[in-house]
Amino acid sequence: LTMEAKSIAVVVEGMTCNSCVQTIEQHVGKMNGVHNVKVSLEEKNAVIIYDSKLQTPGTLQEAIHDMGFDATLADSNP
Amino acid sequence: MVSKVPHRYSVRDTPRTSYRGKHEFFVDMTCEGCSNAVTRVLHKLGGVQFDIDLPNKKVCIESEHNVDTLLETLKKTGKNASYLGEKSAQ
Repeated sequence: LTMEAKSIAVVVEGMTCNSCVQTIEQHVGKMNGVHNVKVSLEEKNAVIIYDSKLQTPGTLQEAIHDMGFDATLADSNP
Repeated sequence: MVSKVPHRYSVRDTPRTSYRGKHEFFVDMTCEGCSNAVTRVLHKLGGVQFDIDLPNKKVCIESEHNVDTLLETLKKTGKNASYLGEKSAQ
């Protein structure tokens, strides 16, 4: 079984405190196929390592957007 | 009672024939970012008028949506949310 692990950075606007950071990390971290999430308040982004068979940059962006934050896709390294 | 509701939303002097529930919810918000997130998800749902009380972690919503839908929407923010009860219109 091969995992198609990929990493993307999502630019997240609207986070102002650590509580925002934690809710995003917890919520996205629970998503199917998400291996790791690192949200940075300073850099206003979320770096997500995920299984590309289960998630796409679009679905990850949508998940953060649905939580009430402005999420846009930054560069992704394949 | 001094209302923070913008004037265009005022329904005080207009008796309504259709019942619109006014519901109070607890949402574990800690900062502006949290309350902004709540504002956005509620706007996205649409058909709601609401007031956010950040210090008391309360959201008061007037809507024709049912409580379950509203609670589901609030929970989308990933924060703890619970229904406190109906609030009688003043």
